[in-house]
Amino acid sequence: MALRDVKPTRSELIALKRRIKLSERGYKLLKMKRDGLILEFFKILEQAKDTRDELARKYERAQEMIAIADTVEGAIGVKAAAFSVGDVPQIELKSKNIMGVVVPEIKSSSVRKSPTERGYGLIGTSSVIDEAADAFEDLLESIIHSAEIETTMKRLLDEIESTKRRVNALEFKVIPELTEARDFIKMRLDEMEREELFRLKKIKARTEA
Amino acid sequence: MMEIAVIGREEFILGFRLAGLQKTYAAETPEKLTEVIGRTLEDPNVGILVLQSTDMEQVPRRLQIALENSVKPTVISIGGETGGLSLRERIKRSVGVDLWK
Repeated sequence: MALRDVKPTRSELIALKRRIKLSERGYKLLKMKRDGLILEFFKILEQAKDTRDELARKYERAQEMIAIADTVEGAIGVKAAAFSVGDVPQIELKSKNIMGVVVPEIKSSSVRKSPTERGYGLIGTSSVIDEAADAFEDLLESIIHSAEIETTMKRLLDEIESTKRRVNALEFKVIPELTEARDFIKMRLDEMEREELFRLKKIKARTEA
Repeated sequence: MMEIAVIGREEFILGFRLAGLQKTYAAETPEKLTEVIGRTLEDPNVGILVLQSTDMEQVPRRLQIALENSVKPTVISIGGETGGLSLRERIKRSVGVDLWK
């Protein structure tokens, strides 16, 4: 609001005061929300770091296992076994709410399977394939967990950013402008009052003379 | 109910097949990669997309950004450090402090 648009009237002053109060209240609330979100974010961050490390570790192990399986069984053998695995792991996306941010909660089913459920014949394949499958199931679980946490983090980051923007806009733009306008009106009104007083005195002096 | 999709080189996706995933797509060249990723992003049944981080670097920058910001499906890149790096940038931008150490 530019100063020249402000009408120096008493009603405007009252309206401005009300707006300032509202903005300040909103500012306080948003600031609390931002701090809360960041606190929440810290909690998730720790988890995210752990799952990242876990993921890397499990990936390495899985790679190793499949390499061994490849060497022992030959690429064709592993591929044949892989193609006969049925029973697709399903995931279910639910949502939960962290301070107004909707984050996913991922539930998975039938990731882990016993060797008999896997679908390839137990007699035709050696245990290295079982171990490789095991390692990858492990990795998959980790991936699902990590997906949940990383999505949560992304959502939280988005929310933190927009909240921060709003807090800053209120603090550095809206509230200063409103207070400036209020001070301007106050000054103008005082000035008008003094002029009025002076005028009255002048008239009084003239009538007495 | 949703599924997990894996895109990458033959060796990469083979293990995931062994774990029972059906939506595993082989992509050897960057062009193919871009095309398959694009198609998978459209698939409403994919909840999580798993990529290899070396592959992630090969797709066009635009797609990379789309992947990083995508929530549904969530994109997870494994192997290497890049998965953490993009997130690290975002944390720096949003919180103002580099918290990822």
